[in-house]
Amino acid sequence: MYDVVILGAGPAGLAAGIEAHKKGANTLIIERENRLGGILKQCIHDGFGLIRFKERLTGPEYANRYIKMAKKEGLETLTSTFVSHIKKGKGVFYLEAVNSECGITSIEAKTVILANGCRERTAKQVHIHGSRPSGIYTAGLAQYFVNVFGYLPCKKCVILGSGDIGLIMARRLTLEGAEVKGVYEVKSTVSGLTRNVAQCLDDYNIPLHLSHTITKVIGDERVEAVEICEVDQNMNPIKGTEKKVECDGVILSVGLIPENEVAESLDVCLDPATKGPLVDQNFMSLIEGVYSCGNALHVNDLVDYVSESGEYTGNSAAEYSKRSIKKERKLVRVKKSNDILYVVPQYIDINSTSKKIVLYFRVKEKREKVVICFKLNRETIFTKKYKYLNPLEMERIEIELELYDLTENDKFEFAIE
Amino acid sequence: MIKIQRKIQQTVSKKIVCKEWRSSIILEGMVEDWSDVVKAGKIAANKGYKGVVNKIEVKNLHIPEINKPIIADNSLDKTQTDVLTIGGGVIGCAIARELAKWDVSILLVDKEDDLAMHTSSRNDGIIHPGLAANPKTKKAYYNVKGNAMYTKVSEELGVVFRRSGSYVLFEKRWMKLVAPLIMKRANQNGIKGATVIGMKRLQEEEPYLNTSIKGAIFFPSTATVSPYKMTIAYAENAIANGIVLSLNTIVTEMKKERGKIISVKTNRGTIYPKVVINASGVYADKIANMADDQFFTIHPRKGEIALMDKKKGYLLNSIVGKFNLGHSKCITKGGGLVKTIEGNILTGPNAYEQPYREDFTTNRDSFELMVNKLIDTVPKLSPGDIITYMAGIRAATYEEDFIVEKSEYVSNLVHAAGIQSPGLASAPAIAEEIERLALESLSETKDIKRKEKWNARRKKDKQLSIMSLPERKRIININSDYGEIVCRCEEVSKGEIIDAINSPIAVKTVDAVKRRTRAGMGRCQGGFCMPLVIKIIEENTDLEMTEITKKGKDSAVLKEETKT
Repeated sequence: MYDVVILGAGPAGLAAGIEAHKKGANTLIIERENRLGGILKQCIHDGFGLIRFKERLTGPEYANRYIKMAKKEGLETLTSTFVSHIKKGKGVFYLEAVNSECGITSIEAKTVILANGCRERTAKQVHIHGSRPSGIYTAGLAQYFVNVFGYLPCKKCVILGSGDIGLIMARRLTLEGAEVKGVYEVKSTVSGLTRNVAQCLDDYNIPLHLSHTITKVIGDERVEAVEICEVDQNMNPIKGTEKKVECDGVILSVGLIPENEVAESLDVCLDPATKGPLVDQNFMSLIEGVYSCGNALHVNDLVDYVSESGEYTGNSAAEYSKRSIKKERKLVRVKKSNDILYVVPQYIDINSTSKKIVLYFRVKEKREKVVICFKLNRETIFTKKYKYLNPLEMERIEIELELYDLTENDKFEFAIE
Repeated sequence: MIKIQRKIQQTVSKKIVCKEWRSSIILEGMVEDWSDVVKAGKIAANKGYKGVVNKIEVKNLHIPEINKPIIADNSLDKTQTDVLTIGGGVIGCAIARELAKWDVSILLVDKEDDLAMHTSSRNDGIIHPGLAANPKTKKAYYNVKGNAMYTKVSEELGVVFRRSGSYVLFEKRWMKLVAPLIMKRANQNGIKGATVIGMKRLQEEEPYLNTSIKGAIFFPSTATVSPYKMTIAYAENAIANGIVLSLNTIVTEMKKERGKIISVKTNRGTIYPKVVINASGVYADKIANMADDQFFTIHPRKGEIALMDKKKGYLLNSIVGKFNLGHSKCITKGGGLVKTIEGNILTGPNAYEQPYREDFTTNRDSFELMVNKLIDTVPKLSPGDIITYMAGIRAATYEEDFIVEKSEYVSNLVHAAGIQSPGLASAPAIAEEIERLALESLSETKDIKRKEKWNARRKKDKQLSIMSLPERKRIININSDYGEIVCRCEEVSKGEIIDAINSPIAVKTVDAVKRRTRAGMGRCQGGFCMPLVIKIIEENTDLEMTEITKKGKDSAVLKEETKT
C-alpha cells in the first residue's frame, strides 16, 4: 500500500510527490499522458519560475527542474496510465488504473492527492452558434498543435477571449506566419496579465476589441468568417452591431475549469467560486485523506504558486499517512466579505498542528488603496495594505495562528476594510 | 383545385396558382417570404391529391445548390447492379441490409464522406412508441411495428439498445382529464402497455423531476439507441453480406426509357441499375424529379438539440416530454429530455421551417428558448451543464406522412421518402416493406433466391469503458493498445480508435472516428484528445498530417507545417 498516491504529474503533482517522498512517504504519481510535466510541456514561452528560481524559464525548462528532482529522489511514477475508478474504504483508497503494460492494476493508498489541473472552456460553453466547421480550437489545443506538433492550425484567425493563453497564442501564431485579425473580449476589461497585452498584442499591432463577442460561426467545412457583435453591460449582444470578419480559424481563450470529476466521484464538496474542492489549511478536502492542489484546487496565474501548493500538500499528506492515530479534524469556515471572490483554504482545522496558514485569494472587482484584514473573533490579527487589487491577480498572504488557543467556537473572517 | 387555389390566394398570396399534374397538385408563383411557401403547401396538403408539388419561389431568396463531393472519377462507370439505393442514412442502410439476404447485387451510394451524415446523426435517438402520429397513417403503422422489431435487430447488429420507457408529463391537474384520449390513441395505434401513473409512482421512477408535475402516462416500449451507430451497424452488416458501398457519390441525372430508369449518372460514372431505391432524405423530391416522378415536396424543418454533461446523467432514467395539444390537432410531445444510450441527458428538439436543406447551423434565440422551455422539468439541470449542441433537418412532406411505395409511373423506382420523425424508430419496418417492393420489381426480370451464406449478425464493437474488469484485462493483454486511454472524458482507448479506422467502412476523419468511438464527445469536446486522434489516424492510414480532416473535403484540421 502506498502512503500517498498523486493523480497528475504537472507542476502541482510533481512538487507534491517530491515533497511527500522527501518526508519518507511511500509515494506514487500517476500521469495519464505519456510524459511528465503536464501542460508546461507545451508552454515554450518564458516567464516561469520568477518567484521560485528567480529566473525566467520556459515551461519545459521549469518542468524539467522538477522532473530531474523527482528522478534524483527516485520518486515512483506511472505514465500513460489512466485512473478509471477510485473508491474509498476504511482508511484506504482503492484505485483501478488502466495502462497498456499491465492492463488494469489495483492500487491501494492511504491518501490521495488530486493534482489534475484544469481544462479549457469550449466554444459551446460560451454560446457560440452558427455552423460547426473545422478551425475552431481552444487556445491550449492550438498551442499543442503549434508547439508540440509543429503545425499551424490556421492562417488567418480571430481570438475570442483575452485570457493569458489566448494572448500568448496571438503572438505565437503571428511569429509562425499566421495573421491574427484581432482579439475579441466580451468583458470591458482584459482577462490576461497586463504584461501579456503589451508583449503579445501591442508589440505586434494586434487589435484588441473589448465588449465584443463572436455570435456566429460561418462556413460549412472550414471556418470562413465569424459574426462579431458588440455587447451591452450584461454581456448580451446588441442587435444591429453585427459585423462579419473573414478568417479561417477561431481560437478560444475563455477560461479554465478545474478538472474535478475524480473528486466528485469521491463525493468531495466543491467550492462554487473556485470550482475546486473545499479544503483546510493542509489542503485536505472535506473527505478525510483526499487532498487537492494546483489548478485543480483553483486556477492560478503563476506556476510558482502551483508548485508551492503542491509542496504543502505533499508534506501534509505524507505526515497524515504516517500518523497511526488520526486526530479528528475540527473545521471552522473562514468567512469572507462580499467583495472577495474566493479564499483558499476555505476552512481552518483548529486541531491541526500547522498554525502557519497560507491564504490565496482573489477580489471580485478592481480596488485601489485598500487594506485586507484577517480577524479572529472580530479582532484583527493580520492586515496588509495594497496599492491596488485586481481580480486577475491571485494574492497570497501568510497568517500565524500559533499564539492563539483555538476552539470550535472561534470565528475567522477575511475582509477588505 | 379551384377551392384550394382560392384559399391560398386569399390567405397567402394572389400570385400563387395551382395546377393538376397526374394525381398531384402543383403550386407555382412568387412570394415575399419562405413562410408563405410553407403556408401555401400546407393548405394544399391532404385535400384529396396524392401530393403537393410546391414550386413557389421566394423573391430575392438564394437557395444554395446541393453540397457536392469534390471527387470526380470513373470508379463506378458502367456498373451493372440489380439494386441501386440512393442515400446512406438509417433508412438506406437498413434497406441495404435487408436486401442483402437475397442473391442480388446491391450498390448503396451517398454523397457524403461517411454514412448518417444528415438527419441520422442529428436526432435524439428515441425509438418512439408510436403515439405522435394519427391512427391510419403510415407513420403510426411503421413506428409501432419498427419499435417492436428493434429488440431483435439491435441484438443481431451488436448495437447497444435500451427500453427505458417514456413519460408524457402532466404539468397541470386538468391535463389528466385528457389521459383517456391519449390512452385511446395509444390503443388505436397498437401501442402496448401504456399506463396512467400518479405523482408518487412517477417520483419513485424519476426522483429528480419537478415536484409540480401532477402525473404522467408511461409508455414502456419507448427506447433509445445511438442513431449513427445503428446506421453504421446496418451498413457494416450489409457489406459483410456482399453489398457495395460508394461514399462521396452524388446522383446527378437519370435516363429513362419506356417508363423505366435505364441509367443513373453520378460524379463517379454511370450506373445501370435494375431497380432504384430513393432513400435520399432531404433531397428525396429532387431525386424523384430526376425520374420525372416528383409528386411530393420536401420542406426542410430544422430541429436543434443540446447535450448535457454526463455527470448530470443521474438526474434522469428515461425519457420525459411535457404534454401539449400541439399545433395540428395531433398529440405531440414537442421535445423533451432524453437519457441517451450513452448516459448524457439530451434536451430538445425544437422545430422550425427553413428553406435550406443542408443548413445545420444553430441559432442562439431559438436554441435558448427551447432550452429554457424544457429544462425546468428537471430543476437540478441548468444551461451551464450543456456541453454541445447541434441541429438536424427533418425531411418533411406537406402531407406529413411517410412515402413507402413503388412509383406509380416509373416501374423500377421505389420511394422511401418523407421519412422524418419517427423515422429512426420505423426504419426496420420500412426496410422490410421496401425489401418486399424491390424484390417484387426485380422478380419481373430474374429469379430471386436467398443467399446461401447470409449472416444476420454483426460483431459488437469493443467498448472498453463498459466492459467488466476481467474482460477488459483480457482484451488489453491481447492487444496493449486497448490500455492506452486517448479520450479521457469518455475513456476511449487507442485500440478502439484503430478499430474504427480499420472497420469495414474505413474511416479517416476526426468526426467519423468520433461517431464510432465517442472520442471527443465528452465535456472537453476534444480539447485534449484531438491531437492524439489525428496522430493515430496519421499512423494508421496513408494520410499526411495536413490531409487529415474533421469531416472530409476542405475541413483539414491543420493548415501547414510551421517554419522550423
